[in-house]
Amino acid sequence: MSFPSSKKITRILGAELDKLVTLPSIWLTLTGTFILNLLLAAAFTSVGLQGAAGTQSILNIGLASMRYLQAGFIILGILATCSEYTGGQIRSTLTTIPWRGVQLSTKHFALAIITIPAAFIMAASGVLYTFTMMRDTAVVIEIDTMIKTLLGTTGYLTCTTLLSAAIGALFRRTTPALVVLLGYYFVVSPLTRDFPPRIRKFFPDTAGYYMYLPPSSVKLNFLTPMQGAGISMLWTLIFITVAIVLFRKRDA
Amino acid sequence: MLTFNNLVKHRGTQEILSGISFKARPGRVTGFLGPNGAGKSSTLRILLGLDRATSGNALIDGKPFAELHNPLTTVGAALDGSGAHRMRTGRAHLLWMAHAAGLSRSRVEEVLDIVGLTNAAGKRVGKYSLGMGRRLGMAAALLGDPKILVLDEPVNGLDPEGIRWIRTFLRERAASGNTVLLSSHLMGELAETVDDVVIIHHGKIVADGTLEEVIGNHSTLEEAFFALTSGLAGDVV
Repeated sequence: MSFPSSKKITRILGAELDKLVTLPSIWLTLTGTFILNLLLAAAFTSVGLQGAAGTQSILNIGLASMRYLQAGFIILGILATCSEYTGGQIRSTLTTIPWRGVQLSTKHFALAIITIPAAFIMAASGVLYTFTMMRDTAVVIEIDTMIKTLLGTTGYLTCTTLLSAAIGALFRRTTPALVVLLGYYFVVSPLTRDFPPRIRKFFPDTAGYYMYLPPSSVKLNFLTPMQGAGISMLWTLIFITVAIVLFRKRDA
Repeated sequence: MLTFNNLVKHRGTQEILSGISFKARPGRVTGFLGPNGAGKSSTLRILLGLDRATSGNALIDGKPFAELHNPLTTVGAALDGSGAHRMRTGRAHLLWMAHAAGLSRSRVEEVLDIVGLTNAAGKRVGKYSLGMGRRLGMAAALLGDPKILVLDEPVNGLDPEGIRWIRTFLRERAASGNTVLLSSHLMGELAETVDDVVIIHHGKIVADGTLEEVIGNHSTLEEAFFALTSGLAGDVV
């Protein structure tokens, strides 16, 4: 198989970005997630305002919606890859871009380009809302701590999205991929809370959690943010690699 | 030139293609004829790199599809349906394909005009009729102005005007030296359009030759087809 030139790869990346931005369900998912996140941030802030003044961190409250926010990014990842199998689009894709490994890799890259700013804006908007409402009553966090935490959150949501896209590419159908991923993040993972931390810290969602855990609770942490990022990225890369290997072997 | 060399395809324990060999030559329209489930689409999917052959190969000007420098400008393919996501507009579908192949936006408008979809280009593909979906598939196939066209059941869903248009269009493409391979199960339609005929039945080629050679002593292509496929699946013309 001939390997496409860098110019061709840039064009393929542009085409994959075109595909994502012209799909209404991608925008619906992002907009819906943004609104839901703000509503949840408002609810958690409201609860926070009723709590003891001066003892609560704006970051903890502003990021309390993360568990729910990640569902939107899981859907985003699945839509990005499973949409190829709607209307027979995969045939158009592979007759235009027959280099399967390059195609699926650039799709993940294009998805990351969209996810990174979206994740940062959503995480920051929740924290900003909480900051605006609670700056007189809550413990204010230093700006560099806030930025580090928001970057960690962005990294975690991006890894989750890309991992979801890889699972979507494996299943090729939206519903089974959704059931497996939402089942893991919202049913299986909470059920494993009693597992020893030395094992649990290697789970993709738990490792990712350490990427944005505020430093106030560092003494309780079993991983540093960098270690959490490393494990989270490793899971993501493993699933993307498996998805690419199978994609190259399977009939379209 | 399209060359199929002894293609074999197994799906599970079933052999769906058994040693398919034939050529589609430049300057000619080759009709690939067979009943539903005979193996036409599977053969074309292997040619386009969508499916893998268990053994044998299918080559485009001597190369497998994945080794073409720019596939869209070499081979235009329209398989079943529109090949587009139903929530995307027809124009957006063609634009991403053009972007991937390094083609201009103006070429997208040109092919929309050729297939008569300019007015519907801003509509979502899910709102297209069957015929409009086929036209969009044709527009995608023509996008790179390729020398080779591979069309799977191109007249399905088209109205009489559309069928006449595609017949004339394909004849013109072949007359200017291009290679056209089209599959169909509509023998009357095929007889009006093709120069060469390849008949497939139960995954085996049962006839391969010019239209006249395949018709032979029969009065029509349809009669020849039924004679060739009713228990004579081993005898190649």
